[in-house]
Parts: sequence; C-alpha cells; structure tokens
Amino acid sequence: MDTPLSIAVIGSGPSGCYIAQSLRRSFPQSEITIYDRLASPYGLVRYGVAPDHQSTKSIQSQFARLFEREDVRFAGNIEVGRDISLDQLRNAHNIVVLAAGLPEDRTVGVPGENLPEVYRAGRLTRLFNAHPLEQTGVPNLGKSVAIIGGGNVSIDVLRMLIKQPEDFVNSDIDDAVLADYVRAPAGRIDFICRSTITNAPSDPVMLSELGRIRGVRFSCSDPIDVAEDAPRAALARAKAVAGLLEIDPGTETRVEVALHFGWAPVSINGDGHVRNVELRSVNDVRPNLHLDADSVVTAVGFDYDSGDWHGLGALKANLETGVMDLGLYRTGWIKRGSRGTIAENRSCAKAVAEEIVAGVDTLKQQTKPGYGGLPEEVRARAIDYSAWKRVDSAETDAAPADRSRRKFPSHEHMVAIAHNNFVQTSAGPGAN
Amino acid sequence: MKIQVLFGTESGNAEVAAEDLAQSVRNDGQEVEVQDLSSFSIAELQHDSMYVFLCSTYGEGDLPNTALPFYADLSVVRPDLSGMRYAMFGLGDTFYTETYGHGATKLDDKLTELGAQRVGKIGRYDASTWEPVGECAVAWFAGVLEDVSAVRWLQRIGQHGLDPAA
Ligand SMILES: Cc1cc2nc3c(=O)[nH]c(=O)nc-3n(C[C@H](O)[C@H](O)[C@H](O)COP(=O)(O)OP(=O)(O)OC[C@H]3O[C@@H](n4cnc5c(N)ncnc54)[C@H](O)[C@@H]3O)c2cc1C
Ligand SMILES: Cc1cc2nc3c(=O)[nH]c(=O)nc-3n(C[C@H](O)[C@H](O)[C@H](O)COP(=O)(O)O)c2cc1C
Repeated sequence: MDTPLSIAVIGSGPSGCYIAQSLRRSFPQSEITIYDRLASPYGLVRYGVAPDHQSTKSIQSQFARLFEREDVRFAGNIEVGRDISLDQLRNAHNIVVLAAGLPEDRTVGVPGENLPEVYRAGRLTRLFNAHPLEQTGVPNLGKSVAIIGGGNVSIDVLRMLIKQPEDFVNSDIDDAVLADYVRAPAGRIDFICRSTITNAPSDPVMLSELGRIRGVRFSCSDPIDVAEDAPRAALARAKAVAGLLEIDPGTETRVEVALHFGWAPVSINGDGHVRNVELRSVNDVRPNLHLDADSVVTAVGFDYDSGDWHGLGALKANLETGVMDLGLYRTGWIKRGSRGTIAENRSCAKAVAEEIVAGVDTLKQQTKPGYGGLPEEVRARAIDYSAWKRVDSAETDAAPADRSRRKFPSHEHMVAIAHNNFVQTSAGPGAN
Repeated sequence: MKIQVLFGTESGNAEVAAEDLAQSVRNDGQEVEVQDLSSFSIAELQHDSMYVFLCSTYGEGDLPNTALPFYADLSVVRPDLSGMRYAMFGLGDTFYTETYGHGATKLDDKLTELGAQRVGKIGRYDASTWEPVGECAVAWFAGVLEDVSAVRWLQRIGQHGLDPAA
C-alpha cells in the first residue's frame, strides 16, 4: 500500500479552498493542510469582498465543507516566511501549492502618488472589512475624493463612500471605521476610468446597484453610447450608466458623483497635500481635465511584491502553467495576477490540480512526514478549524441586531479566543 | 433506472449540491451518475432516463458560462425530448431581485418547449441565506420523489379504481 500523499496549500482564500476541493477528489486518502497567516480562513472573501455584499461572502459555506466534512485541516496563524520557511514545508509535504494571493496594491505611476492623502483601495477595503493586520487610523478623505481605476474594486470603494449608515443593515462593516467616515462624508466623488464605456472593466450589475442608494446625483460628460453590435456586457454597462444619469434626487442630494470614461491620470498635484488631479483623454484630442480633490483613492489592481518570494525570486504571472518546481505549484491570483472573480479561481484550480495529478507518480516516491513532521512550536501556535469556529461564534454573538457579525479588528484578540486563552471581562470585545 | 445528475456552475455551489444529492440517492440504493454540463453533449440525452438538473444564475439572469454551450445546442439543434423526464433545481441569490433564479427557469422553459416533462416543482436555493446548499437540494429532491410516487399512486387509482390493495 502507498503511504498517503501529504499536501500543503499556502493560503485559505478561494484558490486555496478550490484546489483543496479538487485535490481531495483526486486523492481521497491524502493528508491535506491549508495554512494561513491569519487566524481566520477564506482570504479576500472575508477581507476583500465588500461588507455589504454578504451573499457573495456566502461562498464560505461551500468552503467550510472542506474542514467539516472532507477531512481538510486548517492551520491558521502560521505565516510562511515568519513561522515556518517554504523549504521546511516542502520537506514535510510531497506537494506544496502556493495560493497566497497578491498583497500589494499596484501603483498608478504618476507624480504626486506619495502625497499623504493618496490611499490604496486595498487599505480602504481592509479597513471597512476590519482586517486585523491593517494599521488603523482613519484616512482623511475630505469633501472631495477622486477614485482612480474603473473596475469593481473601485465601485466597491465608491459605494462604501456614498452609502448612508442605514444602508449597511445586515452587513459586517467595521462600525468604528464607518462612524468615523460618516462624521464628515465626501460630498463630491470623481470616478475615473481609463477605458471607454465599451471596454470598461466594471460589471454592469455593480453599476446599477449604485442607483439604489438614495441622495446621489450622477453625472457624466463623456459619450455613453456603444455600438449596437457591441458585446452584451458593453450594452448592459451603457444601459446601467444611462439609468444612473436619469436619477434626480433634487433637494435630497447629499453627494455628487461624476463618472469619467476614457481618462487617464497624468499627475496628482498639491503642495504637501492633495489639491487636484490632472487627467488626459486616452483616445481623443481633448484638453486635459483638472479635477479638484482633497484625497485620491487608487484602485488599479494588485501586484506581486517586488522582492524575493521566500527564496523563489521575484514572481511574475504565468497563464500557462501552475508548475514551479518538483512538487511545487501555484494557483489563483499568485499565479495569474490580480484578475478575475472568485469563480475564476475555481477553473484555475481545476487546471492546476490536473497538472498535479499528471505529475504525482514521481512525487509519490518520496516519503514525507506530513503535518506531524513540523516543529512542535509551529503546530502549537496553529489555529485549527474548531478553534476558528470559536472566533466565528464569538463574532456572531458580538454582532449588534442590525449586523451579521462583528469582526474583531485585533489579531491577538482572535488568536486568544481561538486558543481559549481569552479571559472575558465586561469591557472586553466579545462580552455580552 | 439510473438517475443522471447534471450541474451547471461557476463558483461550485451547484456541483456541491449535485454531489450531495447523488450521495443521498446512492444511499437509498439507487444508481446515479453526476456530470458537469460543460462536458455533457445533448447527443447523450436519453428519452427513457430520469435527469436532475442543478443550475445557477449569472449575468443578467443567464445560465452560468459553463452551461451556455449546452443551452445553445438545445436552442439550435432542437432535439425532440418527448418522453424524457427531469427535475430542476435552481441556484440564485435574492440580492438579484429581478432575475432571481432565472438560469434554471430558462433551462426549464427550454426543456419543456422541446417536449421533456418536468416532475415536481423547481427547487430553489438562495445564496444569501448562507444555508448549506447540499442539504437544501437533498430535502427538495425528497419532496420531488414524494410527488412522483403520489402521481404514480393517483395514476394507479385512475387505472384500477379505488382499491386499497392496488
Ligand atoms: C477589495 C476586493 C473586493 C473583491 N470583491 C469581489 C467580489 O465581490 N466578487 C468576486 O467574485 N471577487 C471579488 N474579488 C476578487 C476575489 O477576492 C479574488 O478573485 C480571490 O480572492 C483571489 O483568491 P486567492 O485565493 O488567490 O487570494 P486571497 O483571497 O488573497 O487569499 C490568499 C490567502 O493567503 C494568505 N497568505 C498570504 N501570504 C501568506 C503567507 N506568507 N503564509 C500563509 N498565508 C498567507 C492570506 O492571508 C489569504 O488568506 C475582490 C477582490 C478585492 C481585492
Ligand atoms: C456576477 C454574479 C452574477 C449573478 N447574477 C445572478 C442573477 O442574475 N440572479 C440570481 O438569482 N443569482 C445571481 N447570482 C448568484 C449565483 O447564482 C449564486 O451565488 C449561486 O449560488 C452560484 O452557484 P454556483 O456556485 O453553482 O455557480 C450571481 C452571482 C454572481 C457572482
């Protein structure tokens, strides 16, 4: 009889969960462990997907099956590179799959990007999502915000900034961050998309959703017609934008949103502080635009960290293969770059799992100790699935009536609850 | 008779539901096969089989990408499906108020139009409930089977009169 294969997946976001699913089907007897640096599983489903999009987050119930029914181990609170090296993991497991996502917001590459009021969408979305390792401190957005980038993350940020507190019912937004923002919310937002409406990267449904928020007036001084034979998504997008422009909240207008299509940033200007943004027309000859702004949010995708990825050198996207070395693979955003929805990571994981299956005979030859072969102190700090469930219930118990949960913004606190080291005090979060 | 379970999915919920449903049917001693609509050809459809479709919704009330070729083939080739029986389970999200579950509804309309006969009601799963989709599908299918046996019983009554021994 073969010794069971031992598999390590680094990262418990959608791609880590999907590849574990596929590998469980291909190797029913294998030992599969999903490692994550955080105490909680599910990556950007928990900390990227907007807090008011709970139904998108509900994919967690599909992933939970892995841990509840399919004998996949969760080992949270273990950061590769800090608590254990990639080499140690490769020595312990026959197969290691990187599914660690992409951590860094891509930069726009224009002068002025380092002014203090230029914020990255990754940071803002982590703040609204109560990410426990995001440095706190509320961004100083001011009255007028320019959002650079025309994709869905950009729309998420816009939506967070134009909703009113009552629009967050049943969400799990970080209420402290929300309260700080709504004390002095933006009154004008410029949404700057490089592509024309035909080629814009936004989902039409995300655009129309904006129209359900009360008190917002939309404007657009760019052409919003698309050719009749344009792709369906383009037609739907044009229709969605046209719908937004018809809304007239009259005297109830709280915030003006100007949509720009076909404009690229030239520079962010200001003497020590953001004052305005200069844009140039991408396709047509039109004079440059100067938009006044107190702050800028950049949402132009995520990137590989430029340094060495745990001894593997600087990584680049690879659309062809997930194979990196003997027994070493990658999937999801760390493989393809920051493109695509949650679902796209499923087909990506399936393809990589096929590559793994094709090469497994060689890998089987080696006997590896598996998870049990990791140093005792590493296993001692690990948060397993039942420990995570303690945090999960503490969060839902702590939720006010109009919230689905209250996420704990301190990682130490999460770890303490998970390890049952948390002494409840009446003042402590999580106390009833 | 073997039950064929066919799923159309993008993010995997319909596949999970299909597997759970198949497992529960198997536990009842019934032969069952699960296939992804993305790798299933309309030429494989058998008139004397029982099919269970599980299908989610994307775009503006469309079928998931993986099931679009199957749907397009049905629409273009228009095979005669009379005699074929099927059950339909739709996955969606009430967040999309106007197109909730339309993927399955579209597929259902198409199959009916081509002569196939649906048994039971269309099952519905709403992703915003966070409920385990597998359990929802299994519970729904138990209801479908009850409906089917109720129909059989009524047919028998029709044929033999009200004879408790029949
Ligand atoms: C703000 C935002 C909103 C989004 N909204 C949507 C949406 O509404 N719908 C949709 O379909 N898609 C959405 N997406 C896209 C979706 O989140 C991604 O497609 C998906 O999360 C990528 O999955 P992944 O597993 O590759 O990466 P991630 O989800 O980032 O998961 C990576 C995991 O690896 C862990 N990790 C990283 N480094 C280490 C290490 N050294 N050691 C151990 N663990 C490590 C991280 O903690 C994390 O849990 C959104 C993305 C963003 C950024
Ligand atoms: C981009 C997108 C569009 C969607 N559109 C609809 C829709 O129009 N109607 C609906 O009922 N559900 C819609 N849904 C919800 C999905 O159908 C639901 O999440 C389902 O559980 C997915 O099943 P799957 O994982 O099998 O694909 C949409 C989901 C996404 C991500």
